[in-house]
Amino acid sequence: MTKEELIAFEEEIAALFNTGNIRAPVHLYFGNEEQMIGVFRTIRSQDWVFCSWRSHYQCLLKGVPKELVREEIVAGRSISLCFPEHRIYSSAIVGGVLPIAVGAAMSIQRRGEDSKVYCFLGEMTAETGIAHEAIKYSRNHRLPIHFIVEDNAKSVCTDTREAWNQPRLSFEGVADEYVSYYRYETKYPHAGAGVRVQF
Amino acid sequence: MTYFDELKRSMTFLAQDPRTIFIGQAVAAAGTAMTNTLKDVPRDRLIELPVAEEMQMGMTTGMALTGLVPVSIFPRWNFLLCAISQLVNHLDKVQVMSNNGYKTKAIIRTGIGSQRPLHPQHQHVGDYTEALRAMCSTIEVIRLEEPSDIFPAYERALLRDDGCSTILVEYGDYYGEK
Repeated sequence: MTKEELIAFEEEIAALFNTGNIRAPVHLYFGNEEQMIGVFRTIRSQDWVFCSWRSHYQCLLKGVPKELVREEIVAGRSISLCFPEHRIYSSAIVGGVLPIAVGAAMSIQRRGEDSKVYCFLGEMTAETGIAHEAIKYSRNHRLPIHFIVEDNAKSVCTDTREAWNQPRLSFEGVADEYVSYYRYETKYPHAGAGVRVQF
Repeated sequence: MTYFDELKRSMTFLAQDPRTIFIGQAVAAAGTAMTNTLKDVPRDRLIELPVAEEMQMGMTTGMALTGLVPVSIFPRWNFLLCAISQLVNHLDKVQVMSNNGYKTKAIIRTGIGSQRPLHPQHQHVGDYTEALRAMCSTIEVIRLEEPSDIFPAYERALLRDDGCSTILVEYGDYYGEK
């Protein structure tokens, strides 16, 4: 999908949410389309993708038909979109997918399967203990996995750097075999689409 | 057969299935009574992990997600508590989250610490079976009360075709008493 198509999809979801047609939380991307398209240039159909509660772009770029993604979002499942046939797993628990991704990578390595795991995480998640365990273990065991740290500077509404009293984060600027990092600014709030919806 | 012998027999049976893999602390390295039940499991099927219970439980789910049947070992309920988020929020919920698309059959092995002849004190003898039953919607929790309970329970945990996981709860005291 193109940058314009990704943005149009999120605008459609935003409109559906703001008119009360989605009776569950949504978390929208914006401003990172080019970076995401770049990441997905190397992701193949047999590869696994693990995401957080903000995962619409990953699903679309992995090849899930947009009608199916929209259907799941409208059904209220935006925060944990799972598409087994496309090898996508998302979770609403902070850091929840990281060790699961590690286990999937170890399984792939042991079975000699030609696939790789890609695990997306926010910059606040990347500061947590489970992230450091998962990344360290993966590096040390040479697992077929890559972590993508997406930095929008916020965790819900909390300023990540201020909360940690740390002007430079652990993986900021890192680009190596196991970790990529990019920064972006989204126009949407953490959840919802900017309009208070009263059900 | 004694309680210990039935456990050892069950582990050997599980290891005959090429999908199983045994993970945890003191799995390949000596360290707990449970280690001794794994003596006949091939070395390459034993994955010694760091002390990182949440990571272990997450890896358990990830392995199950991709076709393995992990036997994930937490020698005490108290240690398994450190992994509860992964257990309740992921392993137990994967099927529901994915509209029954993902099947994640794992075997979780835990125990109630032995109190005789030495009492290991309060952080080693917890039994949270009922609490976990209340928290889980798909995972089955089974206490292994008698030697005769053991093999059928592990056999069912491996062969069940509903994609659900099983927690099997052993009694440390019974290793030497039954």
